[in-house]
Amino acid sequence: MVTQVCNPVWDGVGSVGGLLLRQAVEWRHAQAEGQGWETVATGFPALDRLLPAGGVRRGSLIEWLADGGAPVGDACGAVALACAVACRLAVSAAQALASQAATIVVVDRGQRFYPPAVIPWLDAQTDVAATRGRRPQLVVARPSRDDDEIWAIDQALRCPGVAAVLAWPERVHSTAMRRWQLASRASGAVGLLVRGLAERQQAGAPTWADARVAVAPVAEGDSVADFAVRRLRIARVGGPWSGNEMRNEMLGDMRNEMLGERSTELRLDLTNGRESTRRHRLSGGAGTPSMAGRFQDDRFPVEGAACRAS
Amino acid sequence: MSRIMTVWLPRWPVQRRLLERPELRRRPVFVCRRERRGVMTVVAWAWATPPRREGASAPPSGRASLSRTSLSGIQPGMSLAEAMAALALSHGSRACHIAEVDQDDPAADMAALESLARSCRRFAPIVAIEKPSQHEHGGPECLQIDVTGTSCFFGGEGALVRTVVWTLAARGIHARAAIADTPAAAWAAAHHTDSLHATLTATVSQPRQHHGGLQKRHYRWAVVPPETHRQALADVPATALRLDTIVAAQLRDVGIETIGGIFRLPRKSLASRFAPQLSQRLAEFTGERPEPLVVPCSVELPTASQAFDFPLLLRDTTQDDLVAVIERLLQECVAPLAAQGKGVMSLQVRLERSQSAEPREACAPAVIDIGVFQPSCSAKHLVELVKLRLARMRLPREIEGIAVEVVSVGVAECRQRTLFGEAAEASASQVGMLMDRLSGRLGRGAVFEPRPVADAQPEHAWAAVPPAARGSSSRSRTTPAIKRTQQDRACENSPAARMTASVAAPQRRPIWLLPRPVRLETVSVVGSAMDQADGSSGPPVWFCIGAQRHEVVKAHGPERIETAWWRGPTVRRDYYVVETSTGSRYWIFRQRRGEWFLHGMFS
Repeated sequence: MVTQVCNPVWDGVGSVGGLLLRQAVEWRHAQAEGQGWETVATGFPALDRLLPAGGVRRGSLIEWLADGGAPVGDACGAVALACAVACRLAVSAAQALASQAATIVVVDRGQRFYPPAVIPWLDAQTDVAATRGRRPQLVVARPSRDDDEIWAIDQALRCPGVAAVLAWPERVHSTAMRRWQLASRASGAVGLLVRGLAERQQAGAPTWADARVAVAPVAEGDSVADFAVRRLRIARVGGPWSGNEMRNEMLGDMRNEMLGERSTELRLDLTNGRESTRRHRLSGGAGTPSMAGRFQDDRFPVEGAACRAS
Repeated sequence: MSRIMTVWLPRWPVQRRLLERPELRRRPVFVCRRERRGVMTVVAWAWATPPRREGASAPPSGRASLSRTSLSGIQPGMSLAEAMAALALSHGSRACHIAEVDQDDPAADMAALESLARSCRRFAPIVAIEKPSQHEHGGPECLQIDVTGTSCFFGGEGALVRTVVWTLAARGIHARAAIADTPAAAWAAAHHTDSLHATLTATVSQPRQHHGGLQKRHYRWAVVPPETHRQALADVPATALRLDTIVAAQLRDVGIETIGGIFRLPRKSLASRFAPQLSQRLAEFTGERPEPLVVPCSVELPTASQAFDFPLLLRDTTQDDLVAVIERLLQECVAPLAAQGKGVMSLQVRLERSQSAEPREACAPAVIDIGVFQPSCSAKHLVELVKLRLARMRLPREIEGIAVEVVSVGVAECRQRTLFGEAAEASASQVGMLMDRLSGRLGRGAVFEPRPVADAQPEHAWAAVPPAARGSSSRSRTTPAIKRTQQDRACENSPAARMTASVAAPQRRPIWLLPRPVRLETVSVVGSAMDQADGSSGPPVWFCIGAQRHEVVKAHGPERIETAWWRGPTVRRDYYVVETSTGSRYWIFRQRRGEWFLHGMFS
């Protein structure tokens, strides 16, 4: 159908219908090349400011570099942030077109993913009226081998109905990465790849990902804090933005300076996976807590320990 | 002499529901029929993974309990109230709260059985379903397969019957199978494989001591040698002749319990002393009166096959050539279905061979089972799934033919195409195809959709269900009224449901949960100042994961989870969310005895 754009017969069509048809075909053509993908705001203004497109563009790959204290960067909050972004992408896809399937595919290599932490986020973010009662679908695939994992991510990224693919591959060859990039360009799915400390060290190396975001937890020290909110420090680490290679070349480093901040903080609300709107309590306001009260959150006194039994 | 194999699928109505909804395995399931005046009668029931009993030497395997006739004295035909009372007596009232009660649906059971019969044609061409007797409570539960002359392909009758049982077990179906001369004898043998195995081994070879001796082994298959079924089945109870309860009671009144006892009576007097059913069943048992196998004659599903003129050496054939043949056969099958607006749900591709190059090698056909989550009428998509499987299986050296058989069909979703939004419309079916591809390569169990379950124990707070096709998820919501009311009642009463609100607090659940908790080696607990009345104390000051030491800066908890006494050993854990000096958050718990474990990471 696309080849017919250059057909001289079409140029002779002067009717409005012909014009509309031609625009539609051109639009399809542009979409097939991955140019016309929309940009979705992640819901975290700080993260949006960090990403050059002002949000996550569909059909792109984003690497999240987990920079925790643990040897593998296990508990630093990068997966949670990627999950929150994936939920946001799926919900916005479900709202945009009612007939479009909005699916999140989690490729869970180590069989570690715990869905009860994320399912409430989807429920909380889904506006039933806007999506006509349809909740985005969450699908988990558990490959047991490395090549199965790479294949599964590739297949999921290739599928047009998938909004986001979340994975934590350990060893990735750049060929596989390039395949994923092309697959996501074609389908519009967003690949969210969480990677560990080893990749963080070679962050300067070139990557096929469209953006690299380093995520590290903010240690708040001794202060009394809310466990429902996670403070994360995010930073953009190199990586060109897709489709803007020309501008990147022209602006070079100046562009990064224009972005103003390369490292910023956000507050992730763990109850609904959004930016926290709770009032931020300043540390040290309550004075130094005593030894006995040190470990208790002020909302949960010792005698009222949350206790469930049956 | 013909040889018949009977495959018994104990409690098929329940098994069918467990296959469709695997999360029901953890709950007792009752399939009930509404009788006059609203009385609910139990048709079948089972609890696939019942709790471990106190003092039991080994955990009872869920499979075994499916075929055990009376776990707690509940018989088919009881009223639901009686059955619930019996369940409460044996397992406590909590078991009744979590019980799933479903309406009997004989048509769906029969359809599932027919599709299973179709997939069993890989063993022999004639697969029949038993005729249900009028007075029985449930529907048919047995498949009858004519294996006359086909067992040699599988390496003998013993190997064939084992293959059948294990093939079904791989699909999650519990089955017992037996081969004998007549359908009636095979039926009797399949229902008493345990007792039969003892007699067969005793007559054929020296009686062997089972290892251990204490634990009774369950045998799921038996082969009655030709011409010996009268002697071999002499000790089997008389009810194995498929007698009505009245006839069985008459026999019991005169002190006859076994089939051998009936044969000791003079045959001529049987007709006058007992109901005519008995002599009819006896004649069927001995083979004097033929019992035809009735092949299910509902909708015939398309099949296509291609036989080669000479055996095809697969070493000389590329995969593309093979796939080209399969694609043509698939198109032949799919085209008539697509015209009816239907699509393939599952199909079988058989690479057939009649004799192998090496004499000792069994020449069973190599079978590729393809199942899809969404009815598909696209031959291209199905070929892709076949290709994925072909690349990963060990092929026979040579084949003589290829057969494609559609096992089950569903209504395919077809929609009028639109000009502009075509991409969006197609995407829904694209996701379904993606699921098929993923599960084709990773395995059927490795692709799932998580559903939250009201359970306090974190490991059991969700269940993996097969990904539903978009739009069909509402099907599970339209449950019969009885089920909904029962569930509502369960929801109001059960302690698990009361916890749902707090279970759903995601900020206290980690994104990564370790498959099994890891013991934390070195832990220092805050001194006795923190000790509370119940013996628990605060979180650790520091702990080690591997070689790395983590200082705990903040902690939240304890969240005490004390539950699951009905599953076996009680789980009693005090969970803490701890934040280390680097800002990492972990989910650790202390068991009753004071050991600390790492269970999750807020990664």
